[in-house]
Amino acid sequence: MKVVHSNTQPVTLSKEKKRSWFSGMLYSRKVAPYVFVAPFILSFLIFFAYPLVQTFIMSFQEVLPGETTFVGLENYRRLNNPTFYTALLNTIQYTFWTLVVLIPIPLVLAVLLNSRMTRFKNIFKSALFIPVLTSTIIAGIVFRLIFGDMESALVNSFLIKLGLDPELWLSNESTGMFVMVLLASWRWLGVNMLYFLAGLQNISNDLYEASDIDGASTFQKFFHITLPSLKPVTVYVLTISIVGGFRMFEESYVFWQNYSPGDIGLTLVGYIYQQGLAYNNMGLGAAIGIVLLVIILLVSVISLKLSGSFKEEH
Amino acid sequence: MNRKQNTALSKVSVNALFILLCVVTLFPLFCLVLASLKPSTELLRFGLNLKLDFQVMSLKNYAFLFQGGSIYFEWFKNSLLLLVITTALTLFFSSMVGYGLAVYSFKGKNVLFLLVLFIMMVPIEIMMLPLFKMTVALRIVDSYTGVILPFIVAPVAVFFFRQYALGLPKALLESARVDGCTEFGIFLRIMMPLMKPAFGAMAILQAMGSWNNFLWPLIVLRSKEMFTLPIGFASLLSPYGNNYDMLISGAVLAVIPIIIIFLFFQKYFISGLTSGGIKG
Amino acid sequence: MKRKVLCVLAVLLVISLLSGCSVKTSGDPAESKTTTLTYWTFNGLHEALFQDAAKKWNKMHPDRKIKLNSVVYPYGQMHDNLSISLIANQGVPDLVDIEQKRFATMVKGNKIPLVDLTSLVAKDRDKFVESRLTMYSKNGKLYGIGTHVGTTVMYYNTEVMKKAGVDIDKIQTWEDYVNAGKQVKKKTGKPITTIETKDPNNFLPMIIQQKSGFFDKNGKLILNNKINVKTLEFLRDMVYKDKVAVPTPGGNHHAEEYYGFMNQGGAASVMMPIWYMGRFLDYMPDLKGKIAIRPMPAWTKGGDRSAGMGGTATSIPKASKNIDLAKDFLQYAKASKEGNIKLWTVLGFDPLRWDVWDDPALQKENKYTNYFTNGTGLFNTLLELKDEINPLYMTKDFPAVSDKLATQILYKTIKLKNESPKKALDDAARELK
Repeated sequence: MKVVHSNTQPVTLSKEKKRSWFSGMLYSRKVAPYVFVAPFILSFLIFFAYPLVQTFIMSFQEVLPGETTFVGLENYRRLNNPTFYTALLNTIQYTFWTLVVLIPIPLVLAVLLNSRMTRFKNIFKSALFIPVLTSTIIAGIVFRLIFGDMESALVNSFLIKLGLDPELWLSNESTGMFVMVLLASWRWLGVNMLYFLAGLQNISNDLYEASDIDGASTFQKFFHITLPSLKPVTVYVLTISIVGGFRMFEESYVFWQNYSPGDIGLTLVGYIYQQGLAYNNMGLGAAIGIVLLVIILLVSVISLKLSGSFKEEH
Repeated sequence: MNRKQNTALSKVSVNALFILLCVVTLFPLFCLVLASLKPSTELLRFGLNLKLDFQVMSLKNYAFLFQGGSIYFEWFKNSLLLLVITTALTLFFSSMVGYGLAVYSFKGKNVLFLLVLFIMMVPIEIMMLPLFKMTVALRIVDSYTGVILPFIVAPVAVFFFRQYALGLPKALLESARVDGCTEFGIFLRIMMPLMKPAFGAMAILQAMGSWNNFLWPLIVLRSKEMFTLPIGFASLLSPYGNNYDMLISGAVLAVIPIIIIFLFFQKYFISGLTSGGIKG
Repeated sequence: MKRKVLCVLAVLLVISLLSGCSVKTSGDPAESKTTTLTYWTFNGLHEALFQDAAKKWNKMHPDRKIKLNSVVYPYGQMHDNLSISLIANQGVPDLVDIEQKRFATMVKGNKIPLVDLTSLVAKDRDKFVESRLTMYSKNGKLYGIGTHVGTTVMYYNTEVMKKAGVDIDKIQTWEDYVNAGKQVKKKTGKPITTIETKDPNNFLPMIIQQKSGFFDKNGKLILNNKINVKTLEFLRDMVYKDKVAVPTPGGNHHAEEYYGFMNQGGAASVMMPIWYMGRFLDYMPDLKGKIAIRPMPAWTKGGDRSAGMGGTATSIPKASKNIDLAKDFLQYAKASKEGNIKLWTVLGFDPLRWDVWDDPALQKENKYTNYFTNGTGLFNTLLELKDEINPLYMTKDFPAVSDKLATQILYKTIKLKNESPKKALDDAARELK
């Protein structure tokens, strides 16, 4: 068809050819997908792949203004120190606790919200979602006021009224972790609940009806139908929570600006800031980044593998 | 009879549970508003308490935001501008890529999808210096282009749009082709409208991300006339004592637009999130 | 079709908006002689000082006018941005405030990205408090001009002291101070002071007083030397053995918790530098007229009674395009006599040049002097102390040591009390080596 087209108007051949090539592009199912994904490929190469490779190279260098020196594995060797392990442990603990809170609770809430028992569903959904709209910085301001060390601060004055001892919330290891996890839970509970709700709406009613005929109890239905059907969503939420946990920085920053007593709030990303920027050891910062990246990839792949997600993909 | 009572009881308790949960969830926001009405000296002396003392409460802190020399509303305007542009562009490009990954089969498709997942996992903190050098090389430092361009294709959105597009009816695609639509035309005129709920869901997430974005704009932007709200806020938080007068009232005003956007798109958002869904 | 056109229009609009934003506003052609200097700071007050200086400068130099484009960033982020920009050698300001803790990291390596400023103070170097120049120097070259001496003093709450029957002028040594503390405790039940557990503002001046520090003159780490261990033990004993001090509420003397505590007369004194006067004014209004300023107690009779603490240096990056102008302006703003007087009148800081300390301008009443009982004669006290301020030696590891103290050592020994000062300092020294 294209050939015929250009043959009929030989005078404007070159121009026509161009247009037909162009319209061919527009119509071609072979070319089209690449047009669609081109923005991704471009931005990936320029703003992701190249900087990442640079980071990798930097992790073997000492980087200073106007001079970079190759130092081999020195930066990685320097990671063998107590502060790095504190940061690693804090990060793992934080991730663990956010997983413990932010998966089962939203799941159960979603099931309850999806049931016929609950009214005002949209109001509940919206109300629980609103916290995530506030930035961590703003949320942090409020949480710092609520969990102040003073006896007259909100939570402490409440504890005193109950006859309990006030707590130095932001100065102790366990309470510090508690406040960070609480902040994250407050912000993300509603989002995860909506993800689970999405999953619930994809479960066919036939399954429940069939089990009703079999006389299954509510709990049996939950464990035999609901939970297995929610697996894909759970895996998704699990993966983004793991990634989010290991990338955590802001939840700690808003309380201590990266200088927490006893390093109770130091995370791996916080350690990148400390070493890479505050101490101007960009090479070391890059090395921490690479280690962090490897950890995230490993944990994600393991969790995906354990949940059998790879089999479903293809 | 007994069973009926049981269900009624659980109905009440479930609803009560949710009401309680909502109260707890909204409580910090209530505290924020309350604190914004109190003079900062009182916060400094006693910390935050729930006393509704109308003698000391006032809108004075809000007046600070309007007083001369304050560039709070400049930041506000910039943030709003960035929000609109970022959300529009990111949604456009991400939906395009997600659609492409879902609808066509082509060489390298799976690799690309894995790369999308990979990017989702990498914290940008680990490559700040090289990324900054890149923006320097492209001469987009201190411009909104520099803020937007590196993240114009958002992996989370691509992922979401792909999942959504997988559920689009293939038959429509074929009939559109027969009608002589270009591939891109099919996407723009037929498929995009069908993905409306997905756009609703992602619009909120992207708008929220842009509104609260702190790290990258801070590195790229250099003139204070171009600063955004989160950067402005952080400069009020100083190691030598915080400027609570402006900080808290400013925070209240900063939360409001994003909540309005949410309530506006809420219907699409929830239906988009739930009907698209993460399937695999 | 219509929709397509609309789409294209929308994209075009967005692109034009974007490019519209990225266009730099170039200077007004009418004032072609005016040069724009960019100045970064993390402190809004410093901005006021520089804007004021720019106004004066333009009057004196109509041929070399300056438009000062000052940008106030958040503290941490300004330094982070500077580190990145100095390495990328792009996007740097013409003038920048660098806080003392971060300063050492900016002059790391052999190719220092900052301009040598030695010539700015060459003419009357002997009029400067030398230890504050040493701090911002490397290999004998000066890379930043400080903002104050940070003379550390003791702020006494005279009301509490009177109630306890203590004459603050009789407190000469730390031993006297502890004994006074016991009396205050007995009479009023209040601690005489607070010890920071999140910042080294007690520990550091007390070791500098004894000519110790984090590093010796040659840059060797001496964090766990005898003096430092003994001093940390002394601080711990004040809290737990003599029970005359408490860990600072909120962890440091800049915490909201502390301001609230102190404002209500929570402790009888606090040891902080002169620049802390402003904090009293802003955050502790109830103590107006009750606070007296005295030298620090000495370790031995006749020993040194002060130390220079904190500080922010203004530097010029080598990548600046207006180095000469920036240098001359900086000399005027912070190294000249006139500029140094402003350091007091605008900021309430003790100026770097002691030759202005007895200037009439520094004896005049202002909001700072009115707050304190001996505000007007303040600089007479400081003049006595100027030769008792020992240098503090910095290396690139200074921030790491400082942070270790702030986040680990003081927290473990004073707040938690679960580690001995010796062990805490030894452990930290080992990790930092």
